[in-house]
Amino acid sequence: MAMADKTLPSVTADSMDDALHRLSRKPGVKGWIMLDRTTGAVVKTNGQISTIRPARSSSTTSLPTPTGGSFSTDVNANTNNETQAAQELGSMVWSFLSTAGTLVQELDTDDELKLLRLRTKKQELVIVPEVKYILVVVHDTPPA
Amino acid sequence: MQQRQQEINAKKAKLAELKARRENRANQAAAGRTGSGSHPELVHPTPGRGDKTDIENLINKLVGESRPGSTFGSASPAQRGSRPNSVLSAGELSTKFSDFASQANGQQPAQASPPSQPQVLTTVPLQTVYECPPSPVKEIFSYSKGVQTTDEWTGPSTRPRAISELPDEDDLSGVTSTPNKRLSRRAREREEDLRLKLRKEIEEELKATKELVIDGVLPESSVANANFPARTLTAEELKAVTASDEFLDFVERSTKVIERALDQSYDVLTDYSLQINDVDDVEDQAGNTAGKGRRRVKEVVQFYDERWSKKRMVSSIDFSPKFPELLLASYTKNPSAPHDPDGIVQVWNSHLQDRPEFIFHAQSDILTAKFSPFHPNLIIGGTYSGQVLLWDTRARSAPVQKTPLTGSGHSHPVYSVDIVGTQNANNIISVSTDGALCVWSVDMLSQPQESLTLTSPPPSKFEDVAPTTMAFPQADPTYFLIGTEEGPIYPCHRYDRAGAKAGIDSRVSYKGHAAPVMSVAYHPPRGPVDLGDLVLSASLDWSVKLWKVRAPAATSTIVDATGTSVAPLLDLAREDVVYDAAWSPVRPGVFALVDGAGSMEIWDLSVETEIPVAKISPTARKEGRQLLSKSLNKVAWEPSEGKRVAVGGIDSVVTVFEVGPDLGGKDGVKAEEYTSIKKLVARLEASNAGGVV
Repeated sequence: MAMADKTLPSVTADSMDDALHRLSRKPGVKGWIMLDRTTGAVVKTNGQISTIRPARSSSTTSLPTPTGGSFSTDVNANTNNETQAAQELGSMVWSFLSTAGTLVQELDTDDELKLLRLRTKKQELVIVPEVKYILVVVHDTPPA
Repeated sequence: MQQRQQEINAKKAKLAELKARRENRANQAAAGRTGSGSHPELVHPTPGRGDKTDIENLINKLVGESRPGSTFGSASPAQRGSRPNSVLSAGELSTKFSDFASQANGQQPAQASPPSQPQVLTTVPLQTVYECPPSPVKEIFSYSKGVQTTDEWTGPSTRPRAISELPDEDDLSGVTSTPNKRLSRRAREREEDLRLKLRKEIEEELKATKELVIDGVLPESSVANANFPARTLTAEELKAVTASDEFLDFVERSTKVIERALDQSYDVLTDYSLQINDVDDVEDQAGNTAGKGRRRVKEVVQFYDERWSKKRMVSSIDFSPKFPELLLASYTKNPSAPHDPDGIVQVWNSHLQDRPEFIFHAQSDILTAKFSPFHPNLIIGGTYSGQVLLWDTRARSAPVQKTPLTGSGHSHPVYSVDIVGTQNANNIISVSTDGALCVWSVDMLSQPQESLTLTSPPPSKFEDVAPTTMAFPQADPTYFLIGTEEGPIYPCHRYDRAGAKAGIDSRVSYKGHAAPVMSVAYHPPRGPVDLGDLVLSASLDWSVKLWKVRAPAATSTIVDATGTSVAPLLDLAREDVVYDAAWSPVRPGVFALVDGAGSMEIWDLSVETEIPVAKISPTARKEGRQLLSKSLNKVAWEPSEGKRVAVGGIDSVVTVFEVGPDLGGKDGVKAEEYTSIKKLVARLEASNAGGVV
């Protein structure tokens, strides 16, 4: 049957962009970050990450990013602000995640962390830790 | 001789210096113990290869020069003193090195006769171990240590740790115990003490690190705080990562999870004690509703995907038998996207509203699809090209199996497929519009297990029959009804049986529709009274009809063998063509129908046989086409609770409604409803008979 070529794989770069785009447009979503699980490096990010930490966004020097790109960061202040905010948030989420992971391991070594929803008074962080990557979404919650 | 003397003096001086350093080191070790945990090299205490070559060079140099001088036995005992705390130990020495040692050994007895030598050689095992001649080796060690400590002392933890693991250290000290006696006892004891402490400490640390490694998570965390982020990825690296299949899969899965999480409209933190004033407008903020009170019908959710649903018609809908939140919809082609697959099936989740849970493809328009009732992962479908397809939700979007287009399969559109049988023995049954019926094994679609051609019974002018729909009674997988394009509904047998051949049973037909029959549905056999002989049919002749069908065995008792025509019990004329009608799975008198005007009607025969109890149209999509876009093709009930009903049609939206407690839900079902339907049927039969007579 020579018709098989017409079917498309279910996962394409196209559909990935679609999914991410739709995610960003969801009502209430402030932004999201994708991290590499092993190194913690920021893979993709979207949205106004800097607004998530209103206290910090003004004084970026208060928490210096330890390594890497921080050297070249002085070039473009605005986008840099975002990258740095993303890195900082990524770092915080990462250490939070490993703490949570430790908890799960301590409870049952066969167990595995699958989803974290961190609800605060102002917003909610939904964290999906997968084997190689981590997706973090920050969204507004209905005022309670 | 003078030169020798000088050399010996120099060595002595060096030894003194070494002693001083050792003491210094002891102090440092004691001081550095607290901070030593932070050294990452701990985990892999492998000594550098470079050290070894250095040592070898040194040995060559030393042995080459000072070997002859070993006749001065007095020089060696003093140097033996440094042996026990030698930093290197047997494990660290390469075999090359030991070769060298034995070479030196060979030299030794010939040239030298130091007083200590016989003592050492008396013990047999010592000869088998390569470091048995202590003097040359020891000399080397003392120097090698000198080499290591001439550089600035890097901290107590790195080097000594390397020794600690090595098991033969005890042997070494045992070997050298004799010469050690000559060293000051105090110094030796202190040395021993220090070493013991170090060792203990290191063992503890090793144990700790091992535990960490086993945990697997902790190393990350300990590193996390230390150096995060590792570094920013370069553009190329980012590109490589984001293009990998792994990453695409990750995005697919994780966004799905997140969207489900965000779509959860209920706020778990709601505090009802605080907001009493907000609660009462819940009933009023109606949205799209119809009916009143306990017979309310309310629109719950609409499913539409811009990428995949666009411009496709919904050709069938089915709820998952296993997961009540999942439903599938099959679609025809999108005429404006010739490069996309013609037919698709989307599995929607009521907790994930913006995108389908799964998408499955086919090369031809899919006319019908349904979940296998016996295996929640399998979906079967029939296409316009005549193929029967099998998809698996664990696989990708292409069908895992499909029937051939040529030869023994169907060569005409397949409008109806079903899976009948039991959990352990079930078959796919498909019927195409040329009257061909095929029975397939779920495991093998390359060839039908059985095939049968349905032909029109004798009274009609043509043999051809074009089945558009097929319905099996719950109890009997060998007997079924087909609705035809011509209008009549025929009973069929899969096999020859008493009084009837396989195929359409010519003795009886259900005639009443004047246009193609779009659906035939048996009454679901639940409840205290068996109403399994009631059949509902929908037709393009603007009507829905209720039939009482005869049991397959009972047909043989009919006197006139051919051509008995049975009239419908009840004829419900509607205001437009009716595309589909479906019984509620839990309420005996309730059914839903959809028509060409775009309305869904809910009927309850136990209440009213003239008008529907509720009538509702799905909310129109804003950008939807206005003309001819409203018609609804299919309706399906959620089977386990019977509270939700889904409709879909030309405008490619699948809409789910929830019905009130008097129309759906298992809880409020009363036995009277069944008896009232039974009475209704008896009354209708009587009046029909009366009318005929």
